[in-house]
Amino acid sequence: MISVENISKSFGKVTAVDNVSLEAPDGKITALLGANGAGKTTSMRMIYALIKPEDGQVIVDGINTHEDPVAARARMGVLPDARGLYKRLTARENIVYFGRLQGMADSKIKDRCEELVDRLGMGSFIDRKTEGFSQGQRVKVAIARALIHDPQNILLDEPTNGLDVMSTRAIRRFLKEQRALGKCILFSSHVMQEVSAVCDEITIIDGGKIVASGSEMQLREKTGSENLEDAFVSLVGGEKLS
Amino acid sequence: MNFRAFKTVFFKEVLENARDKRTVMSSIVMGALFGPILLVIIINTTINMQQDKAEQALEVPVINQTGANHLMQFLTAQDVDIVDFEGSPEEAIKNKEHDVVLAISDNFSQRFNQGQPAKVKLYHDASAKGTAKVSVNRLRSLLNAYERSIGTQRLQLRGISPNLINVIMIEEHDQATKESRGSMLLAALPYFLIMGLFMGSMYLAIDTTAGEKERKSLEPLFLNPVKRDTILAGKLAATVAFGLLTLVLTIVAFKLTLPWYPFEKLGMRFNMDLQVILIMFLVLAPLALLAGAIQTIIAAFAQSYREAQTYVGFVLIVPMIPSMLLMFMPIKESLWMMAVPVLGQNLVVNELMRGEMVAWDAIAMAVGGTLIVGLALAWIAVKLYNREKMLFAD
Repeated sequence: MISVENISKSFGKVTAVDNVSLEAPDGKITALLGANGAGKTTSMRMIYALIKPEDGQVIVDGINTHEDPVAARARMGVLPDARGLYKRLTARENIVYFGRLQGMADSKIKDRCEELVDRLGMGSFIDRKTEGFSQGQRVKVAIARALIHDPQNILLDEPTNGLDVMSTRAIRRFLKEQRALGKCILFSSHVMQEVSAVCDEITIIDGGKIVASGSEMQLREKTGSENLEDAFVSLVGGEKLS
Repeated sequence: MNFRAFKTVFFKEVLENARDKRTVMSSIVMGALFGPILLVIIINTTINMQQDKAEQALEVPVINQTGANHLMQFLTAQDVDIVDFEGSPEEAIKNKEHDVVLAISDNFSQRFNQGQPAKVKLYHDASAKGTAKVSVNRLRSLLNAYERSIGTQRLQLRGISPNLINVIMIEEHDQATKESRGSMLLAALPYFLIMGLFMGSMYLAIDTTAGEKERKSLEPLFLNPVKRDTILAGKLAATVAFGLLTLVLTIVAFKLTLPWYPFEKLGMRFNMDLQVILIMFLVLAPLALLAGAIQTIIAAFAQSYREAQTYVGFVLIVPMIPSMLLMFMPIKESLWMMAVPVLGQNLVVNELMRGEMVAWDAIAMAVGGTLIVGLALAWIAVKLYNREKMLFAD
């Protein structure tokens, strides 16, 4: 369970995120939907306690991320915008490295690793060095690495960006399984079909501000639109002619 | 500090970089072997050239030979190969056609016969490198010998004791020991030892910081429930370990190449026994911490691997400064100098090479001084990553 209360962040004179609040409850997939440059990545970075908000706070399972970032991070599994695998290590070594940093015992890492290999379908490449991996293989390894400690809260920044249909479906299926297990999943995206396909709750961000939130149905009713894309366009102030 | 996380980061960096052939090649081969081998080649070549020159018959181009027949006979008797020279002596020296040219003045025999100082001109280049000096010195001492013998004869002819003009008798006592003569040639050794160590840690310092930032793996790494200080400490430890490994290999390489140094030809001795090796390592080891920390700090400010390489490359100049100073300036050693990083190491290694017993307080100062500065820099390097700006390449 993640609750974000009025966080803001500016870089120099540019306000990247302005007074953003949202709730991501357990057992649901919550989306942070926004165009490129809307402030999604900066918001996510503050939520997973990589950078500090200037105002407001983030509470993860009752822990204030600003006061105790180390404990808060142990409750989260994060797939950041930057996947960054170590290409001189094998996929398994990448995953084990993070397991150890999570403080897990080696035997537990091994079991959990096997489970993730199964669920994400990584059997054919798990013991290969990650240099030259396809985009889909890389994202799977990055997800496995982020979730090695089986965290209650799963945060993903544009998880299916640049993936083919098969990989996208594999990841969607995996997220739905995690939801069924009662996990809290927060995921940022700019792809409408993606959000439409998996998310229960949607928060729309534009220009660093939250402009609407609710289920897809609620958002469509509110704007009288037939699909999420139209609802999104009307909520962020219509199509700007350029 | 979370020791398990520290160990995990340390071993991951060591493993990952050991798999990178480029790092291994540059740190081990370049850092450890380049210095000792280059030094063997340079010393052998210089010494052989000097010896050849000293043993060869001296060839002297002379202008106006006929003006001083008696001198020419004397020089020929002394095994000098006299050749006739025409043209500009200035040009010949400038173009390095000859090391030295002797010009006999037109009124030489006239003044000689009158018992007046007769003039000869010696053309040479005092700033010339290598063996040219040997030729000039040989000719000059032959001319001095001729002058003395004629002068003595003239005085004797007039019934005066030649001893009257020998006012002072100089007896030279050269206090250079065999080892100290050897250390002049080996003055570059401390520099190569220190440089090897800097080169050994350079790639890890860049790869674990700027490299990781460029590959965008720093962000996921910092999302683990481990303090950034601990992660950076593990990275720095791996960097320092590669520096130390290169240091050990450089010392071993020197020990193994020692038989190829022409010590006997020059009547020198350089004793590199186990005690010398251990003191060398003890004194130089803290420098690995300092090198790794400085390089990590600099690499932290770079946005890309290449940028970091440029900046960190400049740091290789730092160990050159004290070595250069000591090569050209005779500095009187005092205890406080030992505490200055790099300078202290240079002084101790120089003393070891001269075969002197290095005092324990000097060793303690060199180790302690460098360790304090190194720890301070390591602390800065580790804390630097608490700044948000350091995390992203974009």
